[in-house]
Amino acid sequence: MIAIDVAGLNVRFGAFRAITDLSLTIDYGEVHAIIGPNGAGKTTLLDVISGLTRPVSGRVTLDGARELTRLSDTAIARAGVRRKFQKPSVFMALSVGENLEIGGLGDASLIDETARLIGLADQLQRPAGTLSHGQKQWLEIGMVLAARPRVLMLDEPVAGLTDGETDLTAELIATLRGPDRAIVVVEHDMDFVERIADRVTVLHEGRTLFEGAMADARQDRQVIDVYLGR
Amino acid sequence: MTRLFAAVVAVLAAVAALIAVAPELLSPYLVNSAGQLAAFALLAVSLDLIWGYAGILSLGHGLYFAIGGYVVAMHLLKHGLAVTGRVPDFMQFMGWSEFPFYWAGFESFPYAAGLTVVLTLAMSGLFGFVSFRSRVGGVYFSIITQALVYVAMLLMFRNDTGFGGNNGMTGFSVIFGRDMADPFVSRMLAIGSIVILIAALLLCRRLVTSRVGRLVVACRDDEARLRSLGYGTLRLKLGIWCLSAVLAAVAGFLYVPQVGIINPRLLSPDVSLEIAVWVAIGGRGALSGAVIGAILVNGVKFWLSARAPELWPFILSGLVVLVVMAFPNGLLDLGRLRPRALKFLRPARGT
Amino acid sequence: MIRPLLLCLVVLCAVLRAQPATALDRDAVVASACGPATAAAEAGRMIIDGVAQASADDLVWARQLIASALDRSLACPGGAAPLLSLRNRAAFETIAAELTLLAAPDPTARAGALKSLGRRPELVPAGVLDRAAAQEQDTALKAALAEFAALADLGSPDLARRGRAVARVADTPSTRAATQLAALTNDPAYRADAGFRATVDDAITRVGRGLMIGRVLATLYNGASFASILFMSAVGLAVIFGLMGVINLAQGEFIMIGAYGTWLVQQGLHAAAPGLAVWYLPIAVIPVFLATAGIGVLLEVGLVRHLYRRPLMSLLATWAVSLFLVNLVRVVFGTQNLQFDTPFYVQGGIAVIGDFIITWNRLFAIGFAALSLAGTWALLRHTPFGLSVRATTQNREMAACIGIATRQVDMLAFGLGSGLAGLAGLALSPLYNVNPQMGTNFVVDSFMVVVLGGVAALEGTVLAALGIGQLNVLVEPFYGAVAAKVIVLLLTIMFLQWRPEGLFALQGRRR
Ligand SMILES: Nc1ncnc2c1ncn2[C@@H]1O[C@H](COP(=O)(O)OP(=O)(O)OP(=O)(O)O)[C@@H](O)[C@H]1O
Ligand SMILES: [Mg+2]
Repeated sequence: MIAIDVAGLNVRFGAFRAITDLSLTIDYGEVHAIIGPNGAGKTTLLDVISGLTRPVSGRVTLDGARELTRLSDTAIARAGVRRKFQKPSVFMALSVGENLEIGGLGDASLIDETARLIGLADQLQRPAGTLSHGQKQWLEIGMVLAARPRVLMLDEPVAGLTDGETDLTAELIATLRGPDRAIVVVEHDMDFVERIADRVTVLHEGRTLFEGAMADARQDRQVIDVYLGR
Repeated sequence: MTRLFAAVVAVLAAVAALIAVAPELLSPYLVNSAGQLAAFALLAVSLDLIWGYAGILSLGHGLYFAIGGYVVAMHLLKHGLAVTGRVPDFMQFMGWSEFPFYWAGFESFPYAAGLTVVLTLAMSGLFGFVSFRSRVGGVYFSIITQALVYVAMLLMFRNDTGFGGNNGMTGFSVIFGRDMADPFVSRMLAIGSIVILIAALLLCRRLVTSRVGRLVVACRDDEARLRSLGYGTLRLKLGIWCLSAVLAAVAGFLYVPQVGIINPRLLSPDVSLEIAVWVAIGGRGALSGAVIGAILVNGVKFWLSARAPELWPFILSGLVVLVVMAFPNGLLDLGRLRPRALKFLRPARGT
Repeated sequence: MIRPLLLCLVVLCAVLRAQPATALDRDAVVASACGPATAAAEAGRMIIDGVAQASADDLVWARQLIASALDRSLACPGGAAPLLSLRNRAAFETIAAELTLLAAPDPTARAGALKSLGRRPELVPAGVLDRAAAQEQDTALKAALAEFAALADLGSPDLARRGRAVARVADTPSTRAATQLAALTNDPAYRADAGFRATVDDAITRVGRGLMIGRVLATLYNGASFASILFMSAVGLAVIFGLMGVINLAQGEFIMIGAYGTWLVQQGLHAAAPGLAVWYLPIAVIPVFLATAGIGVLLEVGLVRHLYRRPLMSLLATWAVSLFLVNLVRVVFGTQNLQFDTPFYVQGGIAVIGDFIITWNRLFAIGFAALSLAGTWALLRHTPFGLSVRATTQNREMAACIGIATRQVDMLAFGLGSGLAGLAGLALSPLYNVNPQMGTNFVVDSFMVVVLGGVAALEGTVLAALGIGQLNVLVEPFYGAVAAKVIVLLLTIMFLQWRPEGLFALQGRRR
């Protein structure tokens, strides 16, 4: 079943075309990776889905019913589409527990479970500003998770993480996968992507270059030329 | 911090009690000063709420302070006219025999008190709404609030607005039917101000330690993040902004009867900026810091204004530079002696 | 002393009467002047009628004759000249003024004569005016004469001449022309003669239109001069805000310091080189710029540099600086307005149309701002320093990574912005009052210019300064200065609803 349906999307910044005629679907139950060279438009695509950037044309529908390009970022988040930013952004002045509480829209019952999921159960009182980089990444995933989103979008969740932390993150994503949840992951770490993704979309200069299994992407001439081979 | 907060509240309560039980220990001047300082402290708390917690610096809080002040002054003049038959100076000055229509109803205290709140909510609500809606923030927001208070000052300086113009309003003779020169009245005003300050402190403390308080801090640190977690930050900011404005207006409402005069100079951008200075000196982001800062700075100012008033601007500017450069968290830094506070003693290194 | 001299002159002239170029019958004139009252009047008429053909000598001679007749020093062949009748005296006085206008060597005497004639312009014969206009060399007097002639013609009994005069009056529309023409509508001739009426009506509409255009131009001109000051003060604010995210609340005080510096230069020149004192404005440009820029650099290095990550704190810090500077100047110089000389190049102006005068003092400010704009633009667009400023504005970290000394860029940019504000103070000194508090008059408007114009491009600052300057001047005459400020502020807030980042937004990602 389709969670997010992107159709004929065009995004421009002034004269610069960040995304051109992009169409893709994200299904429930899958982990969908979006890869591509720097500046391909991956983050911009997430920005459009989460309502931070308005496209010039094109539609983004949730569950085949709600048009997201007209909703505010707050409303989209409330509709169950949540996202982790590329640059880790947690509330430094608040404790881990308070961060998770805010993520869960105030539902305190979910805090403990989420904290266990991201391995911070014993750190609830700790100010978020004092966490390590990896812990901040996880805390942010936790905040996004706390409201049990239907669509979960992770922008570079393992950037800057150690191999061990990357493995843990992969396991975490595996446990998050479920029949009524769609997961989008943007990453540059190809091994990580191969481990977790059911399907990859390769973007290049705002257009789709390839769509299919990661193993096939690795064989694709064009993909090798513009991205993997470099 | 909690200990400090408790100590501040206790001291305030003690002063109020002292004025109530043993007034003969304090000179009338001291009592009056205490009352005025309490009003300033309340004003500082209102600014700290919005600046320290929500990260929104208003350089125009004098506007709301003046709303409270003008409304109470209008009430006192109308009330004075009803009791003693004394015609306000500005009416004689303008040669008016009748009050302009918008002065109707001001002889009633509940009307004046209600109007202060309604008017402040309307002004701050409208301004906050248009600003926050278009995501005007940071320095832009600050200088627009400053422009707003400046323009309000220019408006009030005009004599034909019916608010006393240049000279403002003064000559308040009675309050609640009692002679304002009566020391009992001045004691009551001082005690009232301190009690309201304590109440406001407790209210604000509850607010900032609540979930809403945490959301406000979260919004300050990363608004976009908070929105992407499903929170409407407009309502949040607007709410705290309006609350802060109302507290400032209440402070003005308490201040003007005690100082006995209001004029447009209260709306000068410098006055509004000074409020921020009290908060910065006392310690931004801590309610007790705002109270301490307001009382300390104004205490020195009161003391100096009798001796060498021309020195005050130089002292004030020196204080600001010192605090801004060396004690980013104000006196609270001094209390904790954070290593950062002493940075200026060490040779500066590039960052 | 004069008497015998004059006597000799009269006799001499009589002897020389046969001179060919002389159209004036000097003997006859002298004879009449020495005759009874009717004859004396005839003498005056003879002189005036002969004015058109008379030689320059004749005019000088006649002027002396009339003057001596008036002060009874005229030596007649039969002894002393007779007493002038009251009527003749008045007539002779007019003639004396007319001859002074024609023959006096000193332009101020001629101007004085014209002024005394101005009470009854229609009584001055056309011949006198024509000749005066033809021979006059002094430009100011020439213009005054032309206007005077037109005025005289307006009252002329000859309707055709009058009609032409009306048309000529309408050629230079002014409030005075409008009153003059309006007065004509009460003239009997206006009622009687349809042709004349049409001429007058047409002239009135033309003058009205001219006045209207003049008013519009004058408003635009005043707005442009205010905008010039705003621009010079705001461009520094905008550059600094773009670079460091810091708004310098002391910018108004840099304007003030610039004006005080200009005054100091003026005083210094008076003391050291009085001959150059009149040129104090151009001479002050470099010292004022350097001084204010230097203070700006000090401020950046000493204070602002440490605060650019805490922009709200920098508001407080720069406010403290402004408080300090205002009070320092107050203590040193006092609170009263400074007295500036008004050198000739910022005095007066040229009348263009209606009541619109291109006054030199405003043109000075506008030209100054235009030069600063050109200089700033060239600096930002075409020098390595400008490239560094733009790069650092766009992305400070990146700029630092590729080796731009961002700290130095900040410092120099701050100096530049302060220096330009100082120059604004110089440019406004012939226009506005200079006192310690003057900065506040400009600073709020300058902030609004930055908010409106954004920080991405100089064009934004120019447009916003022009817009706000014009709006102020446009609203002021109708609703007062306060309303102008209110409207500027409200429009700014409304504008931000539509474009929160100002006219020209910086391209780039916000998060
Ligand atoms: N707000 C903006 N204004 C102007 N250009 C922008 C903006 N946001 C993104 N861009 C440009 O759009 C292009 C796509 O950017 P995007 O961040 O989507 O790339 P990306 O695929 O996420 O790259 P990376 O792997 O480096 O994160 C880039 O060239 C970027 O500079
Ligand atoms: Mg990206």
